[in-house]
Amino acid sequence: MAKLSRRDFLRRSAAGLGALTAAGILAACDRALSASTPPAAVPTDMAPAGVNNAPPPASTDTALPAAPTRAGVPPSAATVPAATATPRVVPDLAVAHGGSDPEALVRAAIAALGGMQVFVPSGAKVIIKPNICVAHPYQYAATTNPWVVGALVKLALEAGAGSVQVMDSPYGCSQQEGYLTSGIRQQVEAAGGQMMYMSLFKYVNTPIPSGLDLKQLEVYEDILKADLVINVPIAKDHGDTRLTLGMKNLMGVIKTRNIMHFNLGQRIADLTSLIRPKLTVMDAVRILIANGPSGGGDLNNVREKDTVIAGSDIVAVDSYATGLFNLQPTDIAYIGAGAAMGLGRSDLQNLKIEQIPVGS
Amino acid sequence: MESPRLEPRGAKKKVRKGHPQGAWITARRAVQYLALASFLVLFILSRQGGWPGQVLNLPMRLDPLVVLANLLASRTWLAGSSVALIVLLLTLVFGRAWCGWLCPLGTTLDLFSLHRARGPRTAPPEGWRRVKYDLFLVILVAALLGNLSLLFLDPLAILVRTLTVSVWPGLDRILTALESALYGLPALAGPVSAFDQLLRPGLLPPSPVYYRDTLLFAGIFLGVILLNVFAERFWCRYLCPLGGMLGLLSKLAPFHRRVGEECKGCTLCTDVCPTGTIDPAHGYRSDPGECTLCMNCLEICPRGLNTFRPRFSPSGWDRYDPGRREALGAIAAGVIGVSLFQSDSLAKRESPFLVRPPGARENNLDAVAFTRCIRCGECLRVCPTGGLQPAVFEAGVEGFGSPVLVPRLGFCDYACTACGQACPVQAIPPLSLEKKRLQVIGRATLDQNRCIPWSDHRPCIVCQEMCPLPDKAVQLEEAEVVGPDGKLVKLKLPHVVRELCIGCGICEYQCPVSVEAAIRVFNPSTGASS
Repeated sequence: MAKLSRRDFLRRSAAGLGALTAAGILAACDRALSASTPPAAVPTDMAPAGVNNAPPPASTDTALPAAPTRAGVPPSAATVPAATATPRVVPDLAVAHGGSDPEALVRAAIAALGGMQVFVPSGAKVIIKPNICVAHPYQYAATTNPWVVGALVKLALEAGAGSVQVMDSPYGCSQQEGYLTSGIRQQVEAAGGQMMYMSLFKYVNTPIPSGLDLKQLEVYEDILKADLVINVPIAKDHGDTRLTLGMKNLMGVIKTRNIMHFNLGQRIADLTSLIRPKLTVMDAVRILIANGPSGGGDLNNVREKDTVIAGSDIVAVDSYATGLFNLQPTDIAYIGAGAAMGLGRSDLQNLKIEQIPVGS
Repeated sequence: MESPRLEPRGAKKKVRKGHPQGAWITARRAVQYLALASFLVLFILSRQGGWPGQVLNLPMRLDPLVVLANLLASRTWLAGSSVALIVLLLTLVFGRAWCGWLCPLGTTLDLFSLHRARGPRTAPPEGWRRVKYDLFLVILVAALLGNLSLLFLDPLAILVRTLTVSVWPGLDRILTALESALYGLPALAGPVSAFDQLLRPGLLPPSPVYYRDTLLFAGIFLGVILLNVFAERFWCRYLCPLGGMLGLLSKLAPFHRRVGEECKGCTLCTDVCPTGTIDPAHGYRSDPGECTLCMNCLEICPRGLNTFRPRFSPSGWDRYDPGRREALGAIAAGVIGVSLFQSDSLAKRESPFLVRPPGARENNLDAVAFTRCIRCGECLRVCPTGGLQPAVFEAGVEGFGSPVLVPRLGFCDYACTACGQACPVQAIPPLSLEKKRLQVIGRATLDQNRCIPWSDHRPCIVCQEMCPLPDKAVQLEEAEVVGPDGKLVKLKLPHVVRELCIGCGICEYQCPVSVEAAIRVFNPSTGASS
């Protein structure tokens, strides 16, 4: 390689930086334009940027409701799960219980919903969002059961997912500490998934078209771009909302959680209207009944329920889970707000719920 | 041994006349870079967590100055500190080889030698060399009186602290800015996020950490480097207290530089000596207390007259070496300094913000003076939340650079014992997780005038939600109050249960009240009940 003089080096660097800046400005303009175009155009427009090997989502998953993306989708359009598109009758909720193998519970519940292939387009980029809020071992039921997460990674890969990434941003510890102590990292990596660190620069300010209280939030871009987000909360106590369930679990994908705490119920529903995970799998293998959400290492507050609740309707999953705590869906503000916004149904008596006993 | 791969380096340094080369120089450079690299690798590993503290703090325990001072001040011998004997023995045989071959700060000063800016400048007077010996003696006297304040001048401590407080956060900021800018380009978004996954959390913190007075600490470090403009290795020659200690020991070392009788006085060796100790006026002899065994003179001498061979006789005393006057002066300085510290108002009334790491308050005779702490900064660098900060005002001049928890910047992680494991001298005790969780480091106090539910009558329970204790030291009381619109609203009002609170500070860290939290953690001695 020819020697560069210092002046040449500086000159070329400046030219390169200038080009990059110009391209950055152009890209920013492009983004601003795409945000204002109709939502349907967004997925194909955004695909080349982040998804390298996956085909454009809009073209392949015609059997599924349109991908809810950054611009959001009108509430009524996507709430109806795959049931309308497929001939077989799929329950609204699948509840697997019994036994001591969390993976068997997950497999049974997902099978009852028609199998993971219903949710995972071939080659799809799947993101699993567990609850890893603090660094406690899973026994304390503050974080999602690692084998539940591991089972979902396996199922997604078996269904032909291109990549399965797992991420959360803890509030009580560092990401690496939470990933490791919860045991989730070990199970995810054993199952062939990737634990991802959430990079600060990837939160994008995103409008919430159907938000009633919040009109915009800084949301993790990968979550918005993913072909499928699987929400894997753990059912547990919470001081303000009474319970941390599926909708509350979505708070892990935004940057500034503090602003949520004014009018928390409605704001959680607003956030849910933006993220719209197509599959929620509630871990109720062990639940925390007091001093949540962090628990703090007291096993006396943990109950073994050996239950997994799965469904594409996040509000319905949350509504069912309230029963584990002897509460009603109406006791939880964000469930009420979510149902009122049409994000899902909380009328459990009218839902088709399939109970699946799993052998002990 | 003359490796052709060193060619570019040689070419670059041709500016310096008579630049020495040879097997010894190559070997010394290799050892220097290896030592610096190991130091940096240990630094990086300590940020990742999961590595045993006894491995990570090895460089600090090798440092005989901090080990001796800690021994004198705490009057306890720690088994782990025995490794410092290695450096001590090394010095007793080879002289200040540590300074020339191993010290990472010394190597840094070689890398930033600034010889071009220095030019043919004449070095400061020889008498200045006295400063490092004086510093060393004052440190010893003060340590005997239980004070370790001056250890913030230890070379390894300077390096650890600067890397932690200034270099790493600065590097993180620059890279984050670059990443954010490049991430905006659609074509680069993929590679940039993949790059970030490599970078964090292994090399850089996963979320940004902030330190107080980063510029001050960077300035001290920069000052040490910039002094190179006045003389090569200015810091090592005139100031370094560790160098002073090793220099005194070197007087006994059998390996001395000797000059053959046939010397014609070409002054080549004088020119390449990094500490300028080869004296043409005295037959080109050198002071073993100043010689770092860099071997430049050995390789440069055209006649091969510089030799290093054992000679079992203690070396003579130089003009600038400490004598009775210096010893008495050091005692006076130590006594006066320590008594002034004890007259400081902080000795009577601690700062309310003096929140020490878990167990440290109990393990030091004085929470302000911090009688065991060697100010090395190991705890700061391992703290995963960045909550541990160098004390700038909480502990006064006396406790400058010792660790304090600043909860608004980072909390004490309930599941972490890293600082106690990393502390090389047990100023922070290596507590088990169970014991550490019981250790009271501070107490939270709620300011009802600023708290959202108390003063604004709007719901917020963040402090209770965050409290990691099994029984929650922040508890909620249901109350009906008149809301902003005149209607009755049901609210949950937070209360701190003093007896339960351990002062971890996550409530203060997460409190959504802006700038200054409505719930704050203070010195555990604050408050009515104690």
